[in-house]
Amino acid sequence: MKREHALLVLYLAAVIVTTVVHDPLSLGAGLVGLLLLAGRKAARLLARCLRVILVFNLAVSLGYLVLAHVHGFSPWETLLLINLRVLVLTLMSFLFIARVNLFRALDFSPTLTWLLGLAYSQALGFQRVHADFRLALSSRSIVRPGLRDRYRSSAAAAAWFMDKALATARESAHALRARGFFGD
Amino acid sequence: MIKLAGVSHRYNGSAALVDVSLEVAAGEKVVLLGANGTGKSTLLKILDGLIRPDRGLYTYKGEAIDPRRLRDPRLNRRFRAEVALLFQNPDAMLFNPTVYDEIAFGPRQLGLPDVDDRVRRWAERMRLTPQLERLPFSLSGGEKQKLALAALLAVGPRLLLLDEPAAALDPRSTGWLIDFLAELSITVITTTHNLSLAPELGSRALVLGEDHRLIHDGPIEDFLADQEKLLAANLVHSHRHRHGELEHRHFHTHDWE
Repeated sequence: MKREHALLVLYLAAVIVTTVVHDPLSLGAGLVGLLLLAGRKAARLLARCLRVILVFNLAVSLGYLVLAHVHGFSPWETLLLINLRVLVLTLMSFLFIARVNLFRALDFSPTLTWLLGLAYSQALGFQRVHADFRLALSSRSIVRPGLRDRYRSSAAAAAWFMDKALATARESAHALRARGFFGD
Repeated sequence: MIKLAGVSHRYNGSAALVDVSLEVAAGEKVVLLGANGTGKSTLLKILDGLIRPDRGLYTYKGEAIDPRRLRDPRLNRRFRAEVALLFQNPDAMLFNPTVYDEIAFGPRQLGLPDVDDRVRRWAERMRLTPQLERLPFSLSGGEKQKLALAALLAVGPRLLLLDEPAAALDPRSTGWLIDFLAELSITVITTTHNLSLAPELGSRALVLGEDHRLIHDGPIEDFLADQEKLLAANLVHSHRHRHGELEHRHFHTHDWE
């Protein structure tokens, strides 16, 4: 078994374990272990994870708080559990992606490799274009852009992405088909 | 007007620009040449104050410019009213609900009294008058390019930075663009990798080599006559040509369609 395949199996097993563990202490220990594994980049990685999950966790936590208030039970232990679990899963995924070549890890399945190639090429392209939309707004803003301008710029970017996503997906699918994918 | 001193920049550890120094005087028409990935767009973004170089200094009219310094609203207003960048992808620049609003965006920010006059004048020059009420997103590629240019020029900039402005244009529109730029009396820096088009866009060439360093700064004719530099810039190539029985190879370009 290749190193990447072994790490993929290990990662999937860790995801399952994290999902079925209901003890905040164990999840906390897992979090510490992952941060130790991250080494010198731990603080930056943790900050990145917190940024990524902030909106999702806030929405879920606030919803649960309202539910607990209406039904009159204590929400704190469950909230700690949910937030810790999401953080551990996110951190684990970031670590996995940073250390494992996903294309090698998924090379046993042409379909999965195709899906990964599609997602990866689109993500890279969109990252570059998103930066251009952001910079173009700065470039054209003689005064600090207001909320309305930011909203309009974001909406234009979203419309552009939707349009291009369809075209790029079609193009990538044709390119991969030409290279012999879809045969598994 | 513009001075770059020892400017270098890297993206995720990869060099984009290495030790670039240059000066551009007011009113000059400069062509920035280089193969894909040599740092032309990065250089324009530094000149527009959007990217802070890792090393070196950029000054515009004697004032140091970078994104951090442009957080000062007074400097930002002064600089952005004078310097305009046309992005390679005009879609990134268009976000207003109508073509009219798109052209009016800059003049409105400046609080100018003649917004309507400016919009109609630039729409007319760009042949966009029939499209004024249309959604910018629905325009063709060439029309978007012209709209983005009109939106920038309506502000009245003193320095215009153009990133591959002819890349998405058909031959007729490219001809129109060359004539249009020749009529402008402001400073213009245009990037291209099209050698045939370059002499039409300016008399002075700045050339970035594949090592991301400036390998030529001078008259464009001198660069076009220097085969060693053309090869170093990866702007020409050679392959076999067949003329009946005769076969030979020489350096050339295929970029003028």
